[in-house]
Amino acid sequence: MDMSANITDWDWMNFFVSMLIVGIGVALLATGIFTSYFGAGKSQKIGFALLSIGILDLVAVYLLTFDALEGIESIFDSDLFTDALVSGVSALAGMVIGMFLILFVLMKVDTVDDLEDLDLEDLEDLDLDEELKKLEEELNQTDNSKEEEK
Amino acid sequence: MMDIVISMGLTGAMLAMLGMGLLISYYGSSKTRNVGLLFLVVGIGLAYYITSIDDSLIHFGNAFIAFIGGMLGGIIGIIIFLVAIIKS
Repeated sequence: MDMSANITDWDWMNFFVSMLIVGIGVALLATGIFTSYFGAGKSQKIGFALLSIGILDLVAVYLLTFDALEGIESIFDSDLFTDALVSGVSALAGMVIGMFLILFVLMKVDTVDDLEDLDLEDLEDLDLDEELKKLEEELNQTDNSKEEEK
Repeated sequence: MMDIVISMGLTGAMLAMLGMGLLISYYGSSKTRNVGLLFLVVGIGLAYYITSIDDSLIHFGNAFIAFIGGMLGGIIGIIIFLVAIIKS
């Protein structure tokens, strides 16, 4: 890879700005669907507003890219927009696969520390029989005091 | 098109490996830490492989800023949602 390439050579308008607007639209659409379905009252109205803004956003990007209507000049190149969308979705898919791989390995590998590493000195000092007797005595005392009160 | 899918898919996996590897190797217990270090090594290996297969930085850079733009847009969208809910 030629690492001497200049950042200004990158196509910021067709790749970054277009995906930024698409990202906002998708997030608004998803949160709008969620809020309008599960929300009640005022929250539901906000959900519908977010949903409609998200749809408008995505429709605007589509119109500004693919020349769907006459009289609207396209801002984004359709081929480059497709490339940008594919690369964004691919990277997201790669991240999801990587996370699943990590979770799979973590679940398969024995990650629990050995019991030898634990500090068991405190537990060794405990005499469980004595503790049990103390508890029974305390319970008996409370029962007796209740009976005396009656 | 397939070049973009492969290189960006590997980039996404690399980012997940490096991020999770750092977290696990730092916060993990003695055994988990070794697994975190393994993820870090795999992430660095993926980074080396990606730089070796993609011979055009401009091509890769465009795809990468598209991914960053999408993520940033998603975050901005969620912030808009939170502001709308909190302010209501």
